[in-house]
Amino acid sequence: MSGDTFKKEQYKKSRSLWRSTRLQSDAVKSFISVLPVIILYLIISIIPAVFAVYASLHFIPLMSPTWTFVGIENYISVFELDQFWGSLWRGLIFMVGSTIIQVSVGLWLAFTLNDISIGQKYLTSIVFTAYLIPTVVVSLVALFLFDQSFGLFHMIGSEWFNLWDSTNYILGSNTWAMPLVILIGSWKFSIFVTIFALAQLRSIPSRFYEAARICGANRWQMFRDITFPRLKGIILTVILLRGVFMFNKFDLIWMLTEGGPGYATTTLPLLAYQETFQGGSYGLGNALAVMMFLILALSAILYFKAASPSQEAEV
Amino acid sequence: MSNDSSSTSGVLGLDHETEERLHRIVLGISGLIAAFVGIFPIYWMAQNSLVTRQAVLDGPVLIPSPEEVTLSNFAIIFNNDVVMYFFNTTVVTIGTIVSVCILSLIAGYGLARFEWSQKENFARFLLFGYMFSPIVLGLPLYLIWQSLGLLNTRVGLIISLTAISMPFSVWLMWKYIQTIPRSMEESAWVAGASRWRAFRDVVVPQTKPSIIAAALFAFAIAWNDFTFAQILLPKNEATTFAPGMMRLVNQGYNIGWNEIMVVSLLMTVPPLLFAYFLQDYLLKGFEIRSL
Repeated sequence: MSGDTFKKEQYKKSRSLWRSTRLQSDAVKSFISVLPVIILYLIISIIPAVFAVYASLHFIPLMSPTWTFVGIENYISVFELDQFWGSLWRGLIFMVGSTIIQVSVGLWLAFTLNDISIGQKYLTSIVFTAYLIPTVVVSLVALFLFDQSFGLFHMIGSEWFNLWDSTNYILGSNTWAMPLVILIGSWKFSIFVTIFALAQLRSIPSRFYEAARICGANRWQMFRDITFPRLKGIILTVILLRGVFMFNKFDLIWMLTEGGPGYATTTLPLLAYQETFQGGSYGLGNALAVMMFLILALSAILYFKAASPSQEAEV
Repeated sequence: MSNDSSSTSGVLGLDHETEERLHRIVLGISGLIAAFVGIFPIYWMAQNSLVTRQAVLDGPVLIPSPEEVTLSNFAIIFNNDVVMYFFNTTVVTIGTIVSVCILSLIAGYGLARFEWSQKENFARFLLFGYMFSPIVLGLPLYLIWQSLGLLNTRVGLIISLTAISMPFSVWLMWKYIQTIPRSMEESAWVAGASRWRAFRDVVVPQTKPSIIAAALFAFAIAWNDFTFAQILLPKNEATTFAPGMMRLVNQGYNIGWNEIMVVSLLMTVPPLLFAYFLQDYLLKGFEIRSL
C-alpha cells in the first residue's frame, strides 16, 4: 500500500521536474515558432510602412536614385493636388456604396443558403465560386459585357431600357462609371460577407429553434431572439472589414476604368499609383499612401469606439 | 413578445401553413436569382469561348446556333505569353500556399501551446496588418525589392503574398490548435517523443481541416493578386496572369474577346472545383468568433 503511494509521489515529483525543464526551453521554442512570422511581418508590413514615411519626406524622381530631403513638402503638395479632396470624396462614395450593397446582398445570400433545402450544395458552390474567381476575370467579363459594340449588357441597357445611347461606352461615362464599378465589385465581394455570416448561422444549434418552435414562436420572433443576437457581432466586424478593404481597393477600379473617365473613378489608391508610376514622383506617392493609412486608421479607431465589434464578436 | 391568443400566428398575421408556404416561395425565388446571377457570367464566358470570332462580331445572342460553335479559340492556350502567365501564376500560388501552411502551423502552435505575455496583443497586431492597402505596401516594396534583387522574381512575389495571407491563417491555426486536447500531446511526451516529434505526429495530422482552410485563403489571395504582381513584376517575362492579361488586352494585341473568355474560363475552373469540394472547409475557416 505505502509502496503504491510512494510510487505515485515519485511519479508526481519526476513529472513536475520534467515539466519545469520543459518550461525553460518553452520560452525559446515559443519564440522560435513565431519568429518566421515576425520576420515576414517586419519585411512586408512594418518596414515598408516606416520606409513609406521616410520616403514621403524626400523628393525622389522614380528613375533616379538620388533622394533629396524636403521635409513635409510632399504633404503640402498632397493637399495642393487638385485631385486629393476629389479622390478622397470618391473613395468614400465607393467605400460606403460598396459596403452597403455587399453587406445587404451578402446577408441575404447567407440566409438563403442556410434555409434552402433543394440543391444547397450546388447553390453554395456557385455562390462561393464568385468569391474565388480572380478580380481580373471579373473585370474582363465585365469589360466584355459592357463593350459598346459586342457587349450584352450594353445592348440590353440601350435597346431594351433606353438607359444610354447605343454608341456610348458607359464604363467611360461620367454618370455610369462609378455605380457600375461598385456593382461589378459587389458581385464578387458580397460573398465575403456571405461566407462569414453563413459560418455563423451554421454554428447556431438547431435545438434553439426547435425549442422556440415548441413555444410557438414565429419566424420573426426566432430571428429576433435567436439569430440576430448571434449575428450582430459578425455584422459589425464584416462592415469594418469590407469598409477597410474597399477603401484600399486598387485592382478592380484600375482594371475596369484606370480611374477614368477623367478622374471620375479615381480614388486615393489609384491617385497614389498614378502619382508614383505615371507622375514619376515616388516621394509624393508615398506621402499619399501615408495619408491614406492615417485616414483609415483614424476611421477604424472611431468605428471601434462607436461599435466595438470585437466585444460583440466574442459572444 | 406579442402574446396574442393565437400564438401560432405568423409574421404577417396569416395562419401558420400559409406563412410557411410563403417562406418557401420567397426562398425559392431567392435561390433562383442567386443561381442566375452567379452562373450567368460563367455561362457567358463559356459560351463566348466556344463560338467563332464572327459570332461575337455579329452581336450578343443568348444561345448561339450550332454552326457557330468551334474549339479553335482554345488555341490561345498555346500562345507563349499565356503559357508563361499561367506557369508563373501557378508557381506563385503553390509556393504561397505551401509557405503559408507551414509557417502558420508552426506559429499557430506556438501561440496555442506556449504561454507568454502579450500573446493576444501580438495576434491583434498581426491582424492590424490588414489596414495597410496593397498600394501602401507595394510602393515601398518596389524599391526594397529592387535593392534586394527580388524585383521581377517569383520568390519576391511569393514572399509578399505569403506575408499578407499570414495574419489570418496564423489566427486560424491558433484557434484551431486550441481545440485539440493537450493531453494527447502529453501522452506522446511521456512515451518519449520530443516536442517537435509530438507536434509533427500528433498535432499536425489533426489540423487537416484548418490546413485546408488556410490553403484555400492563400489560394484566394495568390490566384487573385493583381496589385503586388503589377508593382513587383514589371517585366513581361516574370509577370503573372492578372497583369499579363491586362497588358495583352490593353495593347490590343491580336487577341479577341473569344480568346480572352477562353483564358478567363481556365482561371475560373480551379475556383469552381474548390468551391464545390471544399466549401465546408471555407466555412470552417470563417468560424473564428473572436477578433
